[in-house]
Amino acid sequence: MAGERIDLPQGTLDLLILRTVALGPQHGWAISERIQRVSSHVLRIQQGSLYPALHRLERRGWIKPKWGASENNRRAKYYELTRSGRKQLEAEESAWRKLTAAVGQVLETA
Amino acid sequence: MLSDPLYRLRALFRRKSMEAELDEELHAHVAYQVEKYIQSGLTREEAARRARLEFRGLEQVKEECCDARGVSFVETLIQDVRYGLRMLARNRLFTIVAILTLALGIGANTAIFSVMDVMLLRALPVKNPQELVEFIRLAPDGSMMTNLPYAVFQHLRENTTVLSGIFAFMADTRVLRAGVGSEHSRVHEVSGGFFSTLGVNPLLGRTIDPNDDRPDTEHQVVLSYPFWSRRFGRDPSVVGATVRVSGIPCTVIGVMPPDFFGVDRSQLPDMWAPLALDRDPGDVWVLGRLKPGVSIAQARAQLEPLFKQALESLRDGMKDWPEHERDDFLAQKLLVNRATTGTSGLRWQYWEYSNTLKILIGMTGLVLLISCVNLANLLMARSAGRLHEIGIRLAIGAGPRRIFRQLLTENLVLALLGGVVGLLIAAGGHRLLVAFLAGDLQRVSLNFRLDGHVLAFSLAMSLLTGLLSGVLPALRAAREDLLPAVHGASHLRGATRLPFARKLLTTQVALSLMLLVGAGLFVRSLRNLATTDLGLARENLVLMRVDPSLSSSVRDRREFWMQLTERLATLPGVRSVSLAGDAVFGNGGWNETIWTRQPDGAEHDATVPFNVAGPGFFETVQIPLLTGREFGWQDRGNSPPVAVVNRAFARKFFDDQNPLGKRFGNAGPGSSSQIEIVGIIGDAKYGDLREQPQPMFYLPLFQHLEERPYQVHARTAGDSATAIAAIRREIQAMDQDISIDNLRTINQVIHGLLQHDRMFAFLASVFGLLALLLTSIGIYGVVAYQVTRRTGEIGIRMALGAQRTDVLWMVMRETLLVLAAGAAIGLPAAVAAARVLRSLLFALGPSDPATIIWATATLVGAGALAGFLPARRAASISPMDALRHE
Repeated sequence: MAGERIDLPQGTLDLLILRTVALGPQHGWAISERIQRVSSHVLRIQQGSLYPALHRLERRGWIKPKWGASENNRRAKYYELTRSGRKQLEAEESAWRKLTAAVGQVLETA
Repeated sequence: MLSDPLYRLRALFRRKSMEAELDEELHAHVAYQVEKYIQSGLTREEAARRARLEFRGLEQVKEECCDARGVSFVETLIQDVRYGLRMLARNRLFTIVAILTLALGIGANTAIFSVMDVMLLRALPVKNPQELVEFIRLAPDGSMMTNLPYAVFQHLRENTTVLSGIFAFMADTRVLRAGVGSEHSRVHEVSGGFFSTLGVNPLLGRTIDPNDDRPDTEHQVVLSYPFWSRRFGRDPSVVGATVRVSGIPCTVIGVMPPDFFGVDRSQLPDMWAPLALDRDPGDVWVLGRLKPGVSIAQARAQLEPLFKQALESLRDGMKDWPEHERDDFLAQKLLVNRATTGTSGLRWQYWEYSNTLKILIGMTGLVLLISCVNLANLLMARSAGRLHEIGIRLAIGAGPRRIFRQLLTENLVLALLGGVVGLLIAAGGHRLLVAFLAGDLQRVSLNFRLDGHVLAFSLAMSLLTGLLSGVLPALRAAREDLLPAVHGASHLRGATRLPFARKLLTTQVALSLMLLVGAGLFVRSLRNLATTDLGLARENLVLMRVDPSLSSSVRDRREFWMQLTERLATLPGVRSVSLAGDAVFGNGGWNETIWTRQPDGAEHDATVPFNVAGPGFFETVQIPLLTGREFGWQDRGNSPPVAVVNRAFARKFFDDQNPLGKRFGNAGPGSSSQIEIVGIIGDAKYGDLREQPQPMFYLPLFQHLEERPYQVHARTAGDSATAIAAIRREIQAMDQDISIDNLRTINQVIHGLLQHDRMFAFLASVFGLLALLLTSIGIYGVVAYQVTRRTGEIGIRMALGAQRTDVLWMVMRETLLVLAAGAAIGLPAAVAAARVLRSLLFALGPSDPATIIWATATLVGAGALAGFLPARRAASISPMDALRHE
């Protein structure tokens, strides 16, 4: 797997997961694959942090699990965004954009 | 957010299935990864190997998921309780001592609470008890009387519109004859509205109704369940039978259910009879039931004026009363209070009129505090012993909060166990207290019952003690820097913990001293009472009430009493016999208004207790005759009126001059020269052991002979029991129908009068000794722990030349400092607290020096001994061993 890898800043994993499941119910492996692919393999999610994060988000009620059959007929646990999860996603997204814009501005002008 | 608790609940109850789901989820992940690798061209084996390698630590991921999911409060609690129970089971001695300490504190308090609950709080088992009200008279001087004159009751009953029912009752002892033999039974004479107002139904037959409460009708009685069981073996056919109550034939018409005791838990009668059985009921207890919707204020607004009217209607019958007494009587006010819990003589005696229960609460409160402090001390010592365990738990990642929580849970578990054992102690303590307070358990309905009140109280007590004693030790244990403990370098620490332990010990010493001072005061007061000079001889004096009114053979009363006195006096073992109206240590005589002539010629009236006495009375009871003569057979109806007075009487009314031959009167103004004083006797206590000698006068019984029972006083030569049996036989030989009642020796009477004082002395002593024991254990434990900790230091000191006595003194000094500090705090506190006991103490003050010296010496002695044992061990440490121990 080529490319430079970046450690995720604290809290961004939750944002990425929420953003990913916002597209539709996904199971854990698919979420990690998708983040990896969309980020051109820059972001790589360790299972060791993915699953605890999923369970934490589930506990907070932002995503909810649903057991379903996957494309190859395996039973899989799909996560989908809840209503409060969508609100959370919007809040986190705008916070992130503000943060990056501000950081970018500082880097460019300083 | 609803989902979180739901999630946690699910996590708790479906823990197994959640784990399986997690397992499946993670395995699915690996399977996807394997497939991905296969698709990218790897062999199945190679793909599986790589996927597994990537997914290192499957278990750890699972663990983290569980953490992320959050462990539920309940789950942690269960875990902590289990862990706590395991730790408690491991250290049995500690656990037993701790549980007993707590059980004692909680049990003593729960016992008091349950007694108060039953005496003051528990509602009557009748229909809508919250509608009941009681009537109390308030005198102008602020004293209260819980009964009303019968005529007042009648007036209220006839004129009230705010009550749906009102009834009166009075307690009496009467001779019951059912079949063979007669016995004394407790009869409550009730007005016709009693049962219907209370709304209670009989178990068998019917109850007394208003038609039964008439003098002209045949009388009826209703039996109480205990009496029916005891006396008639629960024979249903007794309903309809005829019994004789005081010679009056009465039909048994019903039996009440087991839980019905009337309206006074402290007076369980054998039977209820109509008030009409009594020709002149005198003063009666009155209760009523408010009509639905009538407030207590509305009831007062109507009943208070009615009461005033009723008193006024009695004015005409009070012509010969002294004016101030009549004014006081007419100025009385009516108090109408809720009587949901009924009316209880014990409640008035021990709660409203005295501090008895409050003092008991204070004592048990002290015991609880001592228990808490003691447990806190034990816990500190134990958590010191658990440093290693706690250190390891901190090292593997448990946070201090987690440790604190676990320790506190453990202490609460301990406290709850203590509470359970405490309930057993409470049940026993309740019985003991009721026996002390009420005397005869058969006569009261004050049984211990494990109801919601008591359970809630003991649970609250358990939690309180658990928190009080557990929070600080747990906090300290969780906060410590424990790394050295894990390394095994335990000697480096230990000193840090001790100042707090010392403070706890000091508190304990102070609290114990308070209890010991209390115990000492009560014990000394009891001894003073038991040995106080009565002014008469208490040995071998037998008393009984003799009532010839049912005997048909007694025609001439004077003849009868003379014959009785003579026959009894000639019995072997009987030295002398006499009669009196009121017995010594009975009611203390009756009050009578007398008129005396002042030196200036004016007549002066005063109220003084008096009694009537037969010939030879003072010789029999051995009240010394100072001058003049005592009554003889010549003092009879037609002889000149005479009196014997005591010294206090002479002092008060005749300026302590010899009043022999002087006169006074008791027949209203102008009577001051009627009665001649023929004898002066010494001052003797007559009603109560605590009383100061009061002015009192005696009139000759045969000059004022009435148709009523008299008290026979007999001085026996030796064993009273044999003489009593002989006396009883002799009287019954005169006539079977003469009732002999209340046979007792004066020592038994005094024993009964001291019941209350004995209770305080006993309980305070038990509590004081327990406090002493707990404090000694506490001192021993802390000092022994300290010595173990300092073994190395002591070894070094000794190696450097310290003598054994130096070491002994070094360790003892700590103990003595604690004792001195405890005494310095405890003594002023004890003296201050003892002030509330003042009214209960006899012939000594609350700061009685002998008691204080005794209590301090006992406590310091026991404490020093407890500290000496480990100190001696410290002094016998061999320096070589001690240093090798490092």
